[in-house]
Amino acid sequence: MDTFSFIASVVLVYAGLAIFTLGMAWRVWQWSRTPRSPVRLALYPKPATAAGRFGKLMKDTFVAPQSFEMTPKLMIAAMAFHLAALAGFVGHLRLVREFDFMVAMLGEEGMATFAAWSGGIAGLVMMFAVLYWIGRRTFGPYRHLSTPEDYLLLVLLLGVIVMGNHLRFVGHLPASVYIEWFQSLLRFQPTFPPELASSSTRLALNWHMVFVAAFLSYFPFSKLTHAIGAFATNLVRSSE
Amino acid sequence: MTQPEKQQVESIVGMLDKRMTRQLKQYMDVCVRCAICKDACHQYVATGDMKYLPARRAELVRQIYRKYFTKAGEFVPALYEARDPDENLLDELYDATYACTGCRRCMYYCPFSIDTQWVVSAAKGILLAAGRGNEMLGQLADAAIFKGDNAEMFRDGQLEGFAEMETEVRELTGNPEATIPVDSEGADILYVALAGNHSILPAAVIFNEAGASWTLSFFESANYGYFYGDPEKARLIAKRYMDEALRLGVKEVVITECGHAYRVAEMFYEAWAKEKMPFRVRHILDVVDEYIREGRITVDQAAIAERVTYHDPCQIGRSGGIYEQPRDIVRAVSRDFADMTPNREKQWCCGGGGGIVAMEEFTDVRLKSGAEKVKQIRATGATVLACPCENCRLQITELNEVHDLGLRIVPVMDLVVEAMPLKGRVASAGHSADTESTG
Repeated sequence: MDTFSFIASVVLVYAGLAIFTLGMAWRVWQWSRTPRSPVRLALYPKPATAAGRFGKLMKDTFVAPQSFEMTPKLMIAAMAFHLAALAGFVGHLRLVREFDFMVAMLGEEGMATFAAWSGGIAGLVMMFAVLYWIGRRTFGPYRHLSTPEDYLLLVLLLGVIVMGNHLRFVGHLPASVYIEWFQSLLRFQPTFPPELASSSTRLALNWHMVFVAAFLSYFPFSKLTHAIGAFATNLVRSSE
Repeated sequence: MTQPEKQQVESIVGMLDKRMTRQLKQYMDVCVRCAICKDACHQYVATGDMKYLPARRAELVRQIYRKYFTKAGEFVPALYEARDPDENLLDELYDATYACTGCRRCMYYCPFSIDTQWVVSAAKGILLAAGRGNEMLGQLADAAIFKGDNAEMFRDGQLEGFAEMETEVRELTGNPEATIPVDSEGADILYVALAGNHSILPAAVIFNEAGASWTLSFFESANYGYFYGDPEKARLIAKRYMDEALRLGVKEVVITECGHAYRVAEMFYEAWAKEKMPFRVRHILDVVDEYIREGRITVDQAAIAERVTYHDPCQIGRSGGIYEQPRDIVRAVSRDFADMTPNREKQWCCGGGGGIVAMEEFTDVRLKSGAEKVKQIRATGATVLACPCENCRLQITELNEVHDLGLRIVPVMDLVVEAMPLKGRVASAGHSADTESTG
């Protein structure tokens, strides 16, 4: 394994995951040790029961119907991005453990075709959503509201997505190669399979991982903590 | 940074630290600046001015938070636009903060339910720490606290006023036994009105007709300490009537037709006082609705012939949950009720909340920001507006003049009294008719 590959696809993977995990734990710990507001901050109408409040929390967090009503175009882009990101995340779980039940159902070739289509569509949806957001921030009337942090995150995301799409659309290496590489990381015996080591696609993987590591490392120190914080803030609107 | 500047920063950071709750911290951390809130804010929609965009109002507080409460902002301030609370920031913060009416419509539409009003209350803390609180609101708050500390000084004058009103109530109801009780120990209800007769007289008529066991507070419910942004002053102002309620041993504290006063008493006071109150807090319209439903007072549905519409004050609507009671009341006194669109939790703020009607420097933005409310009212075709909040009434009265809406703007209780077949009024009408026919 060459030095760049070792740094990008080994060291940075471990570092990114460690910073992300510890950083998020630290963030949650910081929130939890800050005293709750003593005054009641709910919005009305609100559900009367705990089950009702939980249902509303889920709806407000995952569907945000009020925001949809206010700005449908932006929310469609946001929803498409988040669903595509979720699909992308689930797809990447193959690296941890192959979806045997799907392989049994679809066959090796069927699984590869399914992954190519679903991963490809998710990658494109994410890319166009991020480009739309960059455009909205840069050319929209809200340029003055945007901070360098907003652009940095979008650029990092774009890097992750573009290099991921490169692996999907240009790389043409089978999933088994990436699975083998990732499994070696899980065993703490990092190595590149020969097909990857000898292919120029490894450079795309390395850059993909550089962006992923930067994104994951920055995540806990950014507004992206809304990924978990939104549950807490949305709960306040229907709290007792 | 000079020594006085350093001291000011320390004072601001200390104040923000004191007000740092989990909710505020999360609001600071999770906002993605998507600006969905822009179309929810009546001030931004009317002016297009970035400083009135809810996310921008919060961003000004966030810039200080990033610099002094996060390591990332401390080390890489440029990335987060973290900055010191300099004069420029404080100038912008003053406008953005005291102009905010605290309607919380932005919170309703925010995908993360960020409560900009809660952030704005922290912003007011920053301004107070910098010695930049709004002077008018501060003076009004201090005057209310002074009255609480020197109640005896005002007592005789107030009693005289109440006695005069009692005569009016007796004439109107035709009931020589009708009273405006004060200091009545063991009464069920302590009614907390506003300064002036307008919120006492109709309530007195209703309580007397309903045969309620009530007593009138010496103190008004309006709370400029809350608008000023000082929870301690706000607590002391509310404490005046809360202590009175404890002393008299009432079962309920009933707040008059005032938005923020109800929210202060019901949502905030116990937390500020760190004490559970042994009585319920209710809004007067909840009580009046109950009296009508239970037949304790009688109203004539044909009494108000004109079309009536109703304005949901943000503090008792979105922040207080009182939506149906006033509508039930208005429907009980009028056959032609037309609701505004949107209404209830989606209702547009009229632009008069948050103490803004008391601050002359915001008159221009205040009147401009009523544009959506004017459109809503016009669309109903109503000529009577029932409005249970003093600040909303002041604002809409001005909008009425500026936009020539031809509206009669009345508290809901006034409509109820208009619709009550009161003996005194019937007798007086009969007397007038006799006089006319004789003439």
